[in-house]
Amino acid sequence: MDKYKVRNNVRKLRFNHDEITQEQLAEKVGVTRQTIIAIEGGKYAPSLELAFKIALVFGVPLQEVFSYELEGDEK
Amino acid sequence: MTYQEKSIAVSLVSHLLIVVYYLVNLFQMQQAGGLVSAKVFSLWAIVIVSTIIVNIIGNILTNILLSIVHAIKTRSEHVEKFIEDERDKLIGLKGSKVSYIAFSIGVLIAMLSFAFGQPPLVMFSLLILSSILGEIIGDISQLYLYQKGF
Repeated sequence: MDKYKVRNNVRKLRFNHDEITQEQLAEKVGVTRQTIIAIEGGKYAPSLELAFKIALVFGVPLQEVFSYELEGDEK
Repeated sequence: MTYQEKSIAVSLVSHLLIVVYYLVNLFQMQQAGGLVSAKVFSLWAIVIVSTIIVNIIGNILTNILLSIVHAIKTRSEHVEKFIEDERDKLIGLKGSKVSYIAFSIGVLIAMLSFAFGQPPLVMFSLLILSSILGEIIGDISQLYLYQKGF
């Protein structure tokens, strides 16, 4: 069976939203900065609720922040 | 190092000290001519009570001390909020699972020691040892998960 992975554009979206810091994003969604670091690094796949909260902060649909892709399939 | 990592590190060090104290005392008893019920019971009591104190009061004290250190370091009166988010909770759950597996293996070894003719004192000593070792292994696995990211 093919292995899929949750990928994200959080770093890019932060950059496009006035370079909002990891600390500020963490505060807005109610998690620690370490969790944002883990999400950005692709080490931690957030819960659906947290994923929606992050998308809300950037004002974009969920699929613009997170995608589910084949592992090793770099864009 | 985050607040959670510091708290786990404190718990790990405390559990290591307790296990060293326990093993040194057990070894000394063994050297002095075998395990004596009264002495072993009092040692168990000390170890069990210390573990409970470490788990409850230790956590509270760590929280207070870290807040004081943070206030001194940043020289602000702003109280740092140590929030526990979903990732912390998941890491905590994974740590508990590892602790539980380690403890279960310890229980099995203790039961086997009894089945192979060791006295009940040895079996119960092994049970207590495995419970503390389970905590230590759980703490280490949590620290590992924090270092790795998840």
